[in-house]
Amino acid sequence: MGYEELFPTNDLNGWHANAAKRFASPFVDNYHDRIDVDPIILSNAAVQCGFTIRDFYEKPELGIHCVGYISELFDLLPVTHWFFSLPWVRELGLTLVYKDTLPPVSTGPIYEPTAEGIESMRVIEKEELMKGTTIPLYFGLYDYVQKNLPHTLVPISYGFDLVGAPAEFVGVENFIMWTFTEPDLAHKVVDTFVETSINGADVLSDKYGMAMLIVGSVLANNDIFADEQVEEFSAKKMGYYVDQCFRKGAGPQVFYHLCGNHETSYKVFKDNLMWSPFNVLHIGYKGSKDFPADLLKKEFQDVTTCMGSVDTKLMINPNPKVVYERSKECLLAGRDAKKGFILGTACETPPYTIPGNLLAMTRAARDFGTYGTW
Amino acid sequence: MAITFSDAAKASMEAKGLKEADIKQVVEGAGKDRIYNGEKFIAKRKIGDLTVYADYSEKGDKIVINSVYCHKLAIRDIVLTGEETAWKYCKNNKPVMKGHTDLEYMGAVRSGPSLVEPESGESWFEEYLAVGALATAEALFQQKRA
Repeated sequence: MGYEELFPTNDLNGWHANAAKRFASPFVDNYHDRIDVDPIILSNAAVQCGFTIRDFYEKPELGIHCVGYISELFDLLPVTHWFFSLPWVRELGLTLVYKDTLPPVSTGPIYEPTAEGIESMRVIEKEELMKGTTIPLYFGLYDYVQKNLPHTLVPISYGFDLVGAPAEFVGVENFIMWTFTEPDLAHKVVDTFVETSINGADVLSDKYGMAMLIVGSVLANNDIFADEQVEEFSAKKMGYYVDQCFRKGAGPQVFYHLCGNHETSYKVFKDNLMWSPFNVLHIGYKGSKDFPADLLKKEFQDVTTCMGSVDTKLMINPNPKVVYERSKECLLAGRDAKKGFILGTACETPPYTIPGNLLAMTRAARDFGTYGTW
Repeated sequence: MAITFSDAAKASMEAKGLKEADIKQVVEGAGKDRIYNGEKFIAKRKIGDLTVYADYSEKGDKIVINSVYCHKLAIRDIVLTGEETAWKYCKNNKPVMKGHTDLEYMGAVRSGPSLVEPESGESWFEEYLAVGALATAEALFQQKRA
């Protein structure tokens, strides 16, 4: 039995048709219905359908079908996604293991943290990627969606996380130290990963004629690095990654995810990222608070659709009213952003997110999520 | 000046329905309204709803059109100015910078990565963007506005 036999078809003419029109609206200035809600639902979708976190990652087709199916319940996005933060690393030599409560994790560094140690590290070319694990995984995933959930298909290539993923090759602590003591070596490690990720986007856009790009600054945040290092090792590399992917035919859709605390480092991204007609910028936190939507709007509304943040901690707190009130604040502060606004959680909504809290976000979007001019 | 067309330029002109006369109009009508980088020039001109670009080289009294491309998105204001590039604007000899410029299409205004000369407010889009990300964006606009 295929996974598709486990799920009824989405309500295509009702829910999906409306959600698709709404999803497009902030990008084409054709406002429809209300501001969209994107709690970055991943393994929570599997949990809500009765499966496990491990199922979500070990069985990508099942995982993505859960996302497509459960999105209708909370009137979320009409498109599907499935990912974890370590694409392309197996081709570069890392071993990943599946866990019961986590996305796949690395078994540990594979290079000695010395110049000689990383000498053999090299970019993986397109032909080799085809024989690796990431490309077959994405091909299998998107072919499944094309066949069974074609209304939700967006081929996505992940560059995610251009600093955190390569740091795994030499050990995260060693990498962080290198950014101070041996920046050239830190650059080599990052650049090898970035170029490999670009080749991956090239393969995907060759097959699907386009590929949305999702790229983040996760390890590179203000809890770890100063603004200068975030700019040098993350913002500039993200801009380069997107530019090169565009040169190879990927894009123009880009989702920029600045994860964790970007207290002051948010300032280094505007001038370094590549802004396209269809991009979304999402910032998790400013200090320990979810990133203020009014600041996000003020800084970035000229160049991108903005995605506001509701603290993910609230999503597992049995208090939907708090989620509703926080969503309301976020919507009122951001809803009139010039190039559109989306209500999000600060990062992936936790696997055991309380359904009532997801409903609270959607309820708030229905109550306050107009574009400010209606 | 004698104008010749590369095979790549001919192929893009055919694909876009552009005639040699259109491109001659872009090149000859540009005057100083073009950017240069050594022997290489980019000139643009609005022809109907299209912004048409000619990327060409000048050698003595000969012009070779290296490539031709276009986009339907209408160029609006510069929104960001970044680092200097090797390009210069013939009109004022000022350096052309990397930047972002607003583009309008079907009533929507969105930004795209561009080459800009802030003093004149002029913007240009490079070929890889016009035939890639911008062309896909135009298709998405058409699809999503429908």
